[in-house]
Amino acid sequence: MGILEGFVSGLFQAFSFDVFPYLLVGSLFGLIVGVIPGLSGHFAMAMAIPFLYTMEPNAGVAFILGAHATVAQGGGITAILFSTPGTGQNAATMLDGPPMRRQGLGGQAVGAALLACFMGATFGAVALAILLPVLQEASLLFGPPEIVILSFLALTFVAVLGKEDMARSLVAALLGLMLAMVGLDNVTNQARFTFDSFALIDGLPLVPVILGLFAVSEMFDLFIRGGSLSDSSDGKAMSMRETQRQIFSGMKITLQKWWLVMRCSSIGTLMGLVPGLGSAPAAFVAYGHAKQTSKDKASFGKGNIEGVIGAEAANDAVEGGALASTIAFGIPGSSSMAILLGGLFILGMETGPRMMISHLDIVFVMIFTIVIGNLIGTIFGMFLVNPLTRATFLRSSILVPVLICIVFTGAYVVHNAWFEMVIALVFGILGYVMKELSYSRAAMLIGLVLGYAIEKNLYLALQLDGPRFYLDPIPLTLVVITLVFLGWNIWTFIRDRKKEA
Amino acid sequence: MKNTLFRTATALAVMIPTLFMAGQSQAEDLSAAEAFYDGNTINWIVPYSPGGGYDEYSRLIIPYFEKYTGARVRLQNNPGAGGMRGANDIYRAPKDGLTVGIVNGSALVTNQLADIEGAIYEFENYGFLGRMVADQRVLAISTTGEFDTIEEMLEAGSTFKIGATGLGGSTYVDALVAGELFNLDQDIIHGFDSSSVIRQAMLRRDIVGMWGSYGSAIQDVEDGMQKIVLQSGQERTDAIPDAPTVLELAERMQVGDEKMAVLRAWQGLNDVGRPVVTPPGIPADRLAFLQRAFEQAMNDPEMIEEAQSSGRDLTFANGERMAQIATDAAVMPESAEAFFVEAVAGGI
Repeated sequence: MGILEGFVSGLFQAFSFDVFPYLLVGSLFGLIVGVIPGLSGHFAMAMAIPFLYTMEPNAGVAFILGAHATVAQGGGITAILFSTPGTGQNAATMLDGPPMRRQGLGGQAVGAALLACFMGATFGAVALAILLPVLQEASLLFGPPEIVILSFLALTFVAVLGKEDMARSLVAALLGLMLAMVGLDNVTNQARFTFDSFALIDGLPLVPVILGLFAVSEMFDLFIRGGSLSDSSDGKAMSMRETQRQIFSGMKITLQKWWLVMRCSSIGTLMGLVPGLGSAPAAFVAYGHAKQTSKDKASFGKGNIEGVIGAEAANDAVEGGALASTIAFGIPGSSSMAILLGGLFILGMETGPRMMISHLDIVFVMIFTIVIGNLIGTIFGMFLVNPLTRATFLRSSILVPVLICIVFTGAYVVHNAWFEMVIALVFGILGYVMKELSYSRAAMLIGLVLGYAIEKNLYLALQLDGPRFYLDPIPLTLVVITLVFLGWNIWTFIRDRKKEA
Repeated sequence: MKNTLFRTATALAVMIPTLFMAGQSQAEDLSAAEAFYDGNTINWIVPYSPGGGYDEYSRLIIPYFEKYTGARVRLQNNPGAGGMRGANDIYRAPKDGLTVGIVNGSALVTNQLADIEGAIYEFENYGFLGRMVADQRVLAISTTGEFDTIEEMLEAGSTFKIGATGLGGSTYVDALVAGELFNLDQDIIHGFDSSSVIRQAMLRRDIVGMWGSYGSAIQDVEDGMQKIVLQSGQERTDAIPDAPTVLELAERMQVGDEKMAVLRAWQGLNDVGRPVVTPPGIPADRLAFLQRAFEQAMNDPEMIEEAQSSGRDLTFANGERMAQIATDAAVMPESAEAFFVEAVAGGI
């Protein structure tokens, strides 16, 4: 089957009566899962698996991937309106989304996020389609040496995120790196910082940590402060018409900033190609990039719409990249992709090279699912905004207990583990303290996620390629980029300081 | 180790009454148990994430297990600590017969031998419904690499790299066993996140090959990306006629008695495979009823056909036989036990 043939067949299938209803249901299911804090794409797909047994392959693929595609969109809505990341990858949206809501611009932020998601996802899907002829080569680009250096590069973005208070940001990032060491050391088999607890042997689970840092801490804050989530207006809920107007104005701004969307989407797609990094760092790096290149750097973190657009575009563009190695070799780049592979298996599909040869139409069904799923998510997401916005005007004494219940349930269900609720609580307290003392929680999260990737892959890179592994062409290029980027940041930091003095 | 005799004695002490009770209750009427399960809900614990082999096997059998128990079966993924968390969860679940689960038998046995921290179970004390499949372990190498056969690897001029996941995990222990038997000039690179990442490393030619289950290698073999050069088991399976078994090679190379003992112990561990277990001490009639239902489910023609069409091997053993295999696996000569304890702890 040629690529053009596969493209046309995939397009017709995606819109056919056999497939589209499943795609629609899957996407709506994903959107709702995304809105609920703690439930991720991983969870949506796991829930969808049992339904696959009776489905045709094309319908099943559209159903399960649709459920995964819209999760980040739903999560963005929750992040902006409730200061609670709906999924881990929406943590970066927390930096500028909630401040916009406080200024009474919640609708605008959601509108921008929804459209940025759709554009990012489309970018990632198109990139995947273009890469198809060289997909195998592309998905083998990133091995341990490349991942180490790329993680370092991502880590330098802490410098951009925390420019205003470099000392505190570095403290937070280093704390994150230290927390990444909790658990069983893969090299020596020694348990580190587990306090002899069996539950910590796998390290700190990411979802409860993110929920604690960004959601539970906000609930504490809201409860102590009192009032409601939208404290800017005089306690009156925003009218429906005003919300609609804001959504469309947010979308308009996103369209005007199409170049930013493109750049952040390419960051997302590239980082999606890297196995094991996940989409949370991609969103933060894109956010850092948006801030770095913005004319108005000072307003980032205080409600700049570019921060929302950058983060949301990247975290949906990741999907295209993550699918690459899954399709090319049947090698899942993330836990969600591992479930997708399990799903394909149940559907009786062959994955890997044979899929590229004999089932190219299904590959295109996947690509169209990402695009159409996100379009469905954007349209239905708009309908969700209004009722959810009204909830943000509820008194904190009503809202906080409800949200706390949902958040802690979210922490529990990921691994069916009570202990992860404790982690969410502990990190909620830590997050609240950090917020009060203005230490960057984002910097800490980046340190945590990347510390894990750096340590593991550094060891592997050293074992595989020896102590000079960074001298190979791709790692060397990345090293140069990292050094230039870091040097430039240090230079501007010193320059700005002199200016102030 | 001195406690081998003691362990055998304990095992027998547990086994005999269990068998006796099972035998007795089999003769008894199971209608009470049948009534108990009818419409009740059974929790089926999978100690790994959705999408893996254990998850797929579980989802394959569950509809048939529901059919023959009359109960609703709820699958629950409890991943963590390399499957030990789920195994512990099953072990300490209420003894009402409403919790079952599929476990990684050989890993549980070796972890117990090595006294790994956190293992709360005594493997032979689980109630055994039976086994879905025995482990068929294979050494797969890249088709684009420098080697074609195991013989070439034996005569390799320089050290080659084998990928493995965690220190002490099964991909690691298998590689150590082969290294011990055949004095392979290998460097085991452990610390890969999952077998998927090892496969990527193999395609990137970072490493030469990896040990793993036949089920997870088969697709890459059919795609021409990997080649199986060595397999576990008593004799070559029909599906892999060209690769010698470890046993064959060991006999040909006359590795000596001590090494043969390690090999036999390893084969015993592979036989444990993927058993379905209950917590210890559930009522005998309920265990007998579940064993019967599991056997019926495993022999359901429709289920066998479904397994075949999805390329899943089945090597059923009933509950009684499985209990025997489990007991046998834990008993090994002193030197072999020392080897596995050392291997699992990552000391070699």
